[in-house]
Amino acid sequence: MIKTKLNLLKLKERQAARIVSIVGGWHAVKRLSDLGLTPNTLIRVLKKAPLFGPLEIECRGSRLVIGRGLALKIFVNLENE
Amino acid sequence: MNKRLNIALVGQANVGKSVVFNYLTGLHQHVGNWPGKTVEKAEGTLFYKGYEINIIDLPGIYSLTTYSIEELIAREYIALQKPDFIISVIDGTNLERNLLFVLQILELEQSTIIALNFTNLFQEKGIEINVEKLEKILGIPAIPIAAIYGKGITQVLDRGIELKKIENKELKIVKIRYGKEVEREIDKLTKALGTINLTYPKRWLAIKLLEKDKEIEKIVGSKLPQAMEEAKKSILHLEKVHGHDSSIVIAGERCHFVSEIIRNVMKITKPAEMNLNDKLDMITTDKIWGYPILFFVLFSVFGFIFTFGSWFSGLIESLFSNAQIIYQTSLGNNSFAFLGWAGIESLLGLVTLALPYIVPFYFILFLLEDWGYLARVAYLTDNLMHKLGIHGKACIPMLLGFGCNVPACLSCRILETKRERLIAGILTSFVPCSAVSVIIFGIAGKFLGIGWALGFYFFNFIVILVLGKIIAEILPGEPTELIMEMPDYRKPHFKTIVIQTWLRLKEFIFIAAPLIIVSGIIIQGLYRLGWLTIIAKLLSPITVNWLGLPATVGILLIFGILRKELILVMLATLLGTVNFASVLTPIQMVVLTLVSMFYIPCIATISALCKEFGLKTALGITIFKIIFAIALGGIVLRLL
Repeated sequence: MIKTKLNLLKLKERQAARIVSIVGGWHAVKRLSDLGLTPNTLIRVLKKAPLFGPLEIECRGSRLVIGRGLALKIFVNLENE
Repeated sequence: MNKRLNIALVGQANVGKSVVFNYLTGLHQHVGNWPGKTVEKAEGTLFYKGYEINIIDLPGIYSLTTYSIEELIAREYIALQKPDFIISVIDGTNLERNLLFVLQILELEQSTIIALNFTNLFQEKGIEINVEKLEKILGIPAIPIAAIYGKGITQVLDRGIELKKIENKELKIVKIRYGKEVEREIDKLTKALGTINLTYPKRWLAIKLLEKDKEIEKIVGSKLPQAMEEAKKSILHLEKVHGHDSSIVIAGERCHFVSEIIRNVMKITKPAEMNLNDKLDMITTDKIWGYPILFFVLFSVFGFIFTFGSWFSGLIESLFSNAQIIYQTSLGNNSFAFLGWAGIESLLGLVTLALPYIVPFYFILFLLEDWGYLARVAYLTDNLMHKLGIHGKACIPMLLGFGCNVPACLSCRILETKRERLIAGILTSFVPCSAVSVIIFGIAGKFLGIGWALGFYFFNFIVILVLGKIIAEILPGEPTELIMEMPDYRKPHFKTIVIQTWLRLKEFIFIAAPLIIVSGIIIQGLYRLGWLTIIAKLLSPITVNWLGLPATVGILLIFGILRKELILVMLATLLGTVNFASVLTPIQMVVLTLVSMFYIPCIATISALCKEFGLKTALGITIFKIIFAIALGGIVLRLL
C-alpha cells in the first residue's frame, strides 16, 4: 500500500498517525519538536474543538493542545491499526 | 554562621513546581521582576539543617531553546549564576515529555536532582517507575515526591546537600550521548570553539549551534566568526545525511534517547475503566456540552463574585460610615485635615474594591487553574481569541479583567510573544471591570432595565472584537498558535492558591495604592479650591454641547480617573439625589454609562500598562480611549 502524506488536520478523531515532517518557521518547528513532536513519532488525534478550534492530541504519553495553524504544518502518514 | 546554598527550581508548566516552592519557602518569598524584563522572579529563603538556602523559582518553561524571554532567563540563570544545585520538578505521569526537558537541563552541566512528582497518582493510573534505574541511566539523583502532601520534598534537599558535599571534592558530569553522526559534529564544533571564553559549557554551545539557536549564534558569531563557519558546515552535513532540519535532527535524537529510557524504567498497566476525572474531561471539552458548561461556570463565578462583593463592600462601608464624622470631630475641618481625609478615603475605597471583589476573583481563578479547568477554557475559546489576534491562553487575562484591569494587564505575561502581550494588554483595558459593572448596574440596570445593562455588556464585547481585529491587522508579526499541555484534572492545592492570591493582592496594592492615594488627595484638593468647577466649565463644550450631559459631569469624569465607581458616588453627591431618573433623561443615562465604560483606564490601570508596556503605549491607549469614548457618546446621542 502506498501511503500518502496528509496534514494533521485531515485526521478524524481517534485516528492515529506517524509524523513524517514538520514544515514551517524555525520557532514553530522548534517548539513542536521540544515537546516531543518529531518525525517518526506516533500521535493520535483525541478531539477537535468545534468551530475550527484547536486539536487535542496524544503524544508520548501526554496530551497536548495545538492550534489549527500549527496542525497544518505537521505532515503525517496514517497508521494502520 | 549558617552555610549558604543557592538552589534553582525548574520545571515545565503544570508539574507542581509552585507547590514545591511554596512548601519550601511559605511566605518567606518575594516576587519581583528580572532586571530589565517583565518576567516575574520569585525568590524565597529557607533555613534547613544549618543552611541558609536561597531558592529561586525559574519561570515554567518547555525547553531551554530561546523561544521566549522566560526560557532565555532560565538558561542564563543556570549557566551564568551557577546555582549550587538545580531541582528539576517533573510530572511522573508525563514522564516522557518531562525527561526531554531534563536532558536539556543536564546539557548545561550543572548538578541536578529530579523531584519526581505526582507519585500519589501512580497507582490509580497504573504507572510503575523504576527510580533506581532512572538514576543510574541519567547519573543524577531522582526522588519520588507527592508535592501536594509535602511528601519527599525534604529528602530532595537532603540529597542535594549530600551531592554538594561530594561535588566539592570531585565534579562528575554525566553526558547524554547522541547518535554517531551528531556526536562527530558536536566534537568538531567543540574543538572549533576551543579558544572561546564563555561561561556556557562548550559542548552545550556546540549543540545549540547545531540547533540553530539564534541567541547563541549571535554570541558566538561576535566572538569567534570562524566557529560559525564550522557550524554551517556541520549543519549542512547533518541535514544532508538525515534529510531534516538540523534542529529537528537533534530534537529527534533526544526524543529517541528518552523513549529508550522510558522503555527501561516505566511500565503502564492501564486501568480499563475511566475514572471520574476522565469523565469530567470528556464532558467539559465536549463539542456540544463544553460551551453550555463554560457559560454556566463563568456565569456562576461572576454571579457569585458580584453578589458576594456587593454584600461585603456594603458591610465594609457601613463599618466605616462613622469614620468620617469621628475624623472630622477630632481633627476639625481645616484644609490639612480635609486633605488627610481625602487620602484615607481613597485608601478605604481601594479596600472596598480589593477585598470584596479582587480577592475572591483571584482565588476562584487560581482554583480553576490549579484544578485544570482554565486549560479547557483556553481550548474552547481558542477560536474566538484567534479572531482577536491572540490565542486561547489569553482567556486568563480577559477573564481577570472583569474583576480588575490591573491584574489582567499584569497577567498578559503568560503569553509567549510581545505582540500577543500587547494585543491582550490593550484589549483587557477595554474589559468592563467590577467598578465599571457597578456603574452599568447602578445607572443602566437600575433606571433603564436589566436589558439595557446586558446590552451594554454585549456592546462592550463587540467593541473588543472589532478592536482586536483591527489591532491584529495593524501590528506587524504573525499570530502565534496555541500550544499547551492539556493537564489532567487534579485536586487543587489550597495553600498554594492562598499564597498566590496573597502575592497577587500585594502586587496590586503596591501598584495601585500610592497612585490612588496621591491622586485622591490632589483631586480632592482641587475640588475644595473650586478649580474642578472651572475645569468642568472648560470641558463643557464636550460634556454639554457634544455629549448633551449636565456640566457637573466634567467633575465626575475627573474623579472617575481615580476609580471608575466614583462616577456613581459623585453623581449622587453632586446632583444631591440617588434617584438619577429625576435629574437625568434616559438618553443622558445611556450616554453617561457609555462614556464611563470607555473614557479612560483608571489611574491604577494606566500605571500597570506603563509597567508592562512602557509609558508611550500606556499614554497611547489612554488617549485613544478618551477620544473613542467622547466620539462614541456624541454619536449615540445623535442616533437615539
